[in-house]
Amino acid sequence: MLPSSNLILQSVLDGVFLGFLYSLMALGLSLVFGVMGIINFAHGDFIMLGSYLVWILANSLRSDPSLMSVITVPLFFTIGAAIYVAIIRPVLGKEPLIQIAVTVGVGYVLQNLALMMFRAEPRAVQISYLNFYVNLGLVSVHTAKLTSALLSLFIVLGVHYLLTKTWVGLAIRATAYDKEIASLMGINVGKIFLLVFGLGISLTGLAASLWMTFGQADPYIGSSFGLLTWVIIALGGLGGVSGLLASSIIVGVIQSLTMTLVSPSVSLAIPYIVFIIVLWFRPQGLFGKG
Amino acid sequence: MRNALLELINVEAGYGVFRVLHDVSLRVDKGEIVALVGPNGAGKTTTLKTIVGLTNLFKGEIMFEGSRINDVPTYNRIKKGLALVPEGRGIFAPLTVLENLYLGAYHEEARQKLSDSLEMVFTIFPKLKERKNQIAGTLSGGESQMLAIGRALMSRPKILLLDEPSLGLAPKIVSELFQIFKGLNEEWKVTLLLVEQHVKNSLEISHRAYVMESGKIVLEGESSALVNDERLRKAYLII
Repeated sequence: MLPSSNLILQSVLDGVFLGFLYSLMALGLSLVFGVMGIINFAHGDFIMLGSYLVWILANSLRSDPSLMSVITVPLFFTIGAAIYVAIIRPVLGKEPLIQIAVTVGVGYVLQNLALMMFRAEPRAVQISYLNFYVNLGLVSVHTAKLTSALLSLFIVLGVHYLLTKTWVGLAIRATAYDKEIASLMGINVGKIFLLVFGLGISLTGLAASLWMTFGQADPYIGSSFGLLTWVIIALGGLGGVSGLLASSIIVGVIQSLTMTLVSPSVSLAIPYIVFIIVLWFRPQGLFGKG
Repeated sequence: MRNALLELINVEAGYGVFRVLHDVSLRVDKGEIVALVGPNGAGKTTTLKTIVGLTNLFKGEIMFEGSRINDVPTYNRIKKGLALVPEGRGIFAPLTVLENLYLGAYHEEARQKLSDSLEMVFTIFPKLKERKNQIAGTLSGGESQMLAIGRALMSRPKILLLDEPSLGLAPKIVSELFQIFKGLNEEWKVTLLLVEQHVKNSLEISHRAYVMESGKIVLEGESSALVNDERLRKAYLII
């Protein structure tokens, strides 16, 4: 039996909303890699950690998870800055293998911590003000997904504005291009790195708050989000905000259609396979410059 | 004796554990053009990098306006009034010409003079004004050198360090560039320390010069005297 066109349309719409949230998840990873050249393999696990934190906070404060970003964003900025100073800064300029080992290690520590504290059961918040569908005839709009998509888009564009229209953004782009020349401009490169890493991690805290308005926390979502965000960045080609948004939406839609038409259990595998196939034809990504 | 604006005293410096400079001492006074010449690999670039703090300093003193700056990080040396136009120009290729110039004026004091500085740079290099919204990576060699110099001027430096500015440029543009250096010094009162391969041109526009070989200063003096120095004439075929 063929699935109805309504079902497909619904799935695409949910995928688009999910895609916008993915763009927010990928943004921090992209910034850290683009500016510092560090591949943060723990990026997804910070989203996982954030999701648990939001679960605890929202349930104990009996409030909506999205409001928990007021706590998670500054807290995660601080955690990110501390991790930069304690763990990342000492390995800057070292062999890539050492850098990989360090961030993979952070990821595993976070994952083990979550397994120990929360075990492997998925957890969802009790109160989410927007966790319902509004029927529009052809499709229904899930208000929490819509809200998270709009907020994600707003933040992605906000960071784009920061990067292109402010002094600190100019300094970040200069540092990304050449940190020695940047220092010759009077830019404190160490401070820019601290800021970028802190910002990258604080964005995972925000993404986690939005994710928990309709999603669940379990110790393994970190690995899924880690892989998905990498696929998004590789597809999008580093740098541009339009490439990031487009590839996020593509991944979101593919994943959503896979869940609807194939099976939720392969919802990670299919986007990944599509990614590999794309790389055969366009090694620079869909939107990267050849 | 006049007060030195910049002074290196018995400097030993290099990269990692490798020493490139051995006991280098040199001085630049306010208002001077000083040339630093010598063959490839003599340590000229390392000398300039050491002045702005991009090498390992093993021994010696770097004095700027009478105070020791050995331990001042690079970004703060820029704030104090040093500016380096690096070898190869170091243009931020993906950014626009204007963004490159803004970056030159990144530190607070320079930012306050931003519009004045822009006007100054556009007066000296009218080409940059025409191309201000262009991506810097698309400029020609001569234009990107002008951008690199203009960007360094945006920081309102007390001394401008120039590393092989004429490298890879057509002869006509090279002589234009030397006229610009002269003009910067005479009209805009910029002090210059110039590292160059064009020995004759450099000696003609500079007040004093140092000759470097194998990480050491081997000769120094008034440029007008050095132009006629037999050793130098032989070594660099100045005719």
